[in-house]
Amino acid sequence: MAKQYEIPVGAQHISLLEPLHFKFTTENEKIVSTTANIYYVHRGIEKACCTKFKFRQVSFVVGRVCGLCSISHTTAYSQVAEKLIKIEIPARAKYLRMLVIELDRIHSHLLCLSHVAENSGFEALFMKTMQYREAFMELLEAVCGNRVQYDFSIVGGVARDLKPEVAMMIIGRLKKFKSQLDELVDIFQNNWTLGLKNKNAGAITREDAMRLNVVGPFARAAGLAVDVRNESQELLPWIEVGFKIITETGGDAYSRSLVRLREIYVSMRMVENIINGLPESALITETKAFPDGEAVVRIEAPRGELFYYAKGNKTQILERLKIKAPTFSNVSAMLEGFEGNEYGSVPAIIASYDPCLSCTSR
Amino acid sequence: MVPCRQLLPRTILACHARHDEKRLMMKTFFKAIGNLFKRPVTVRYPFEKTYIPDDYRGVIDFDEQLCIWCRRCEMACPPGAIVFSQDMQGKQTYHYNRAVCIFCKECVRTCPKEGALLQTNQPAKFALKEENINNGWNALFEEAVVSREKYAAEKKRVAAEKAAAAKAATAKQ
Repeated sequence: MAKQYEIPVGAQHISLLEPLHFKFTTENEKIVSTTANIYYVHRGIEKACCTKFKFRQVSFVVGRVCGLCSISHTTAYSQVAEKLIKIEIPARAKYLRMLVIELDRIHSHLLCLSHVAENSGFEALFMKTMQYREAFMELLEAVCGNRVQYDFSIVGGVARDLKPEVAMMIIGRLKKFKSQLDELVDIFQNNWTLGLKNKNAGAITREDAMRLNVVGPFARAAGLAVDVRNESQELLPWIEVGFKIITETGGDAYSRSLVRLREIYVSMRMVENIINGLPESALITETKAFPDGEAVVRIEAPRGELFYYAKGNKTQILERLKIKAPTFSNVSAMLEGFEGNEYGSVPAIIASYDPCLSCTSR
Repeated sequence: MVPCRQLLPRTILACHARHDEKRLMMKTFFKAIGNLFKRPVTVRYPFEKTYIPDDYRGVIDFDEQLCIWCRRCEMACPPGAIVFSQDMQGKQTYHYNRAVCIFCKECVRTCPKEGALLQTNQPAKFALKEENINNGWNALFEEAVVSREKYAAEKKRVAAEKAAAAKAATAKQ
């Protein structure tokens, strides 16, 4: 038996975006086993939501859980609160929520792809992808009024309307982005050096993905067709605006990149459909009811299924709020994916998992 | 470049991967050389302005003439960036901290009097050390809450005194 070495990576490391600690046991550069430590950024947001903030204010607090899927968190909380106070939101608010979620998904996927490129040693592609992502940051700023903290969904509807000139701007940018995305797909698929780093790296089989309950693009890259947008239609009509599930079969870092790239095409089509068929109605349903009972909501964040549970007791302050972030479901599969890989390909694999630790630790 | 939608089916994809890799590498190389003669895509920030929409969520403006002093904005504000203090004559004063504000517009939405609160499109100015914007604000917040409690207690005391005097007057008769 060869000598075994333990290599720690994190909680601060040049290839990590967020505080995450891995300890790899390696044998001749091959990874034998891995352990992970994830709760480095616990902020006690759930407790704050149940003690300090009124239920209408909580939608702004949970937006601060994560900077990348801020709109998914606010929308999921708004939906769960609307279930508790038993109101139906206007049709236009539903479509506007979907619009911002899809724009957010595009920019989140582009960020992940750029970091895959960077951690694989392809700095020029990182710059290129980030440059294209900037257009979507500006679109989100035009729609929501802020670059990162959208504060767009509020309990009962949405905070702002979509102005016609902003809608025109989105359509124009998407038209321009289509050729740029074709270029990115071409590079990610056919670049030889990127393929060396990404093909067969961090691979996970379909059976393992099913057994470990993987969610999001991670699962879809392994051939598992799981997507909340495909499963639940009563809160937001995803299939009506042209959602189509995307799966790949490889299960490695390369397939994960391809799934994300192809999902961007779907998101772009959905954004176009939403803008072309936006119904006219009010933006918000006013009510003075207090939350009562229990409710559960699932929503597809850019990284997978996001789960919210809330319990009210007829007062302004919630009794319990539980957030389960997508990365939490994926941690066990992440460890499985490292096994048998070279230690040198670890940064690229971590980036392709797209972990979001602020969501997970809350 | 081959359009991507043709590439998406796996069979065509595999075909394309077998293509001459040298050709692709040379194409990338010439593109990289060509980029040397293009304009930079970054914005020269302090000299050129970056994109800011017309309805950017900026600092909150307050109009003292229109305010009806209902304090609903203070109750609705998620981070507690608005507080009203009160002197012993009952006159209220509005305090706002731009460093605590998250620009969510919740105060403007709850305001019953149109125009009293307004969201501008101006980004907040940087906080300076002299302003003591954290500790100073915390102290101010406490003081404001205490001043309101004091006024309420004083009002109660005066009312009780009046009632007692009235009671005494009726008892005398």
